[in-house]
Amino acid sequence: MDCYSFDRIISDYIDANLNVKQRQEANEHMSVCPRCREKLMDLEGILTELSSLPKCQTRSDFESRLMDRIAHSKEQKERRFIQVFQDYSRPISVVAAIMLLVATSIFVYTSVVIPNSPDSIPSAEIRSIEVNRPMPAPVAATAVQPALVSTNSESVIPDSNKVESPSYNNQIMIVNENK
Amino acid sequence: MDREKIKYTDEELIKRFQQGDERAYIELVKRYKDRLLNFVYRYLNSFEQSEDVVQDTLMKLYTSAHMYREIAKFSTWIFTIAANLAKSELRRLKRRRVISIHSMGFDDKEYEIPSESYDPAKETTSNYGEKQIQQAIDTLPDQFKTVIILREVQQLSYEEISQILGISIGTVKSRINRGRLRLQKMLKELKEQ
Repeated sequence: MDCYSFDRIISDYIDANLNVKQRQEANEHMSVCPRCREKLMDLEGILTELSSLPKCQTRSDFESRLMDRIAHSKEQKERRFIQVFQDYSRPISVVAAIMLLVATSIFVYTSVVIPNSPDSIPSAEIRSIEVNRPMPAPVAATAVQPALVSTNSESVIPDSNKVESPSYNNQIMIVNENK
Repeated sequence: MDREKIKYTDEELIKRFQQGDERAYIELVKRYKDRLLNFVYRYLNSFEQSEDVVQDTLMKLYTSAHMYREIAKFSTWIFTIAANLAKSELRRLKRRRVISIHSMGFDDKEYEIPSESYDPAKETTSNYGEKQIQQAIDTLPDQFKTVIILREVQQLSYEEISQILGISIGTVKSRINRGRLRLQKMLKELKEQ
């Protein structure tokens, strides 16, 4: 080991981070090199001094000052929030009033105006148009359909076993009568 | 009551504080204020500024406690905050010193050197060695200064230093070795003066 190599491992030597072989090599080098031996001793002395430097302590009012700062910062945060609210209170209230007005008018329109409008009642004309449309062929005849169209007083109890084809002629006639 | 407090580890205390227990915060402050001050003081070499930095660190602990995750040791986390704040403060101080020197005109015949801040070391000891050592620390480049203080003054492990500074253990070892040798060289020069 030469002096340059020793310089590179001097910290590991002090911190006992070298393996047995490296340590032995370092010891062998120091036995023949007074410069490195002195350097090691000097450095160990400096490190001892460093670790035993007088410790400083915070002043006695350190904690109370810290707590004051915390309380002050909390207050400032609250104040900032209030300040922002105060600064923007007028625009906020205008926007809120507009939103309230819009919401009220939507509510009134949907609950009062729309249900009473004549458009909401289906007219006979529309129904007649629907009637004039080409009817799709019935996929499957149901027993319920004849009952739905019966306007006569006599009620027909559908026979579940009997498959009836729906009579669209009746429907067209009823619509025409309404017209 | 005190016995109960001693039972808690730092990690348990920060957890309690995160849950809203302010007494846990006060306990952490008591545990760390002097340790942090010793670290920052050796870094800045100014007592008042160091105390301010420690206050800022503990304020940050109060406001950002929710940022702490249990994956790291609490001491590592708090030292990381203190190290970052100390670095910023040192940069600010250096800038201010440069500005104040620049602002002095050549015609200024008299100027007052600002009185040095309260220094407990000066009051408690007259050890010349300590003054020299602090002077040597001050001359170290930042990267060596931090590791030397964390290792030699705070007695932290390589692993802890590596976590605080966000560098590999290999880099920590290398910086410690080079930092120690530089410090030794600097002290030799100071002795010879």
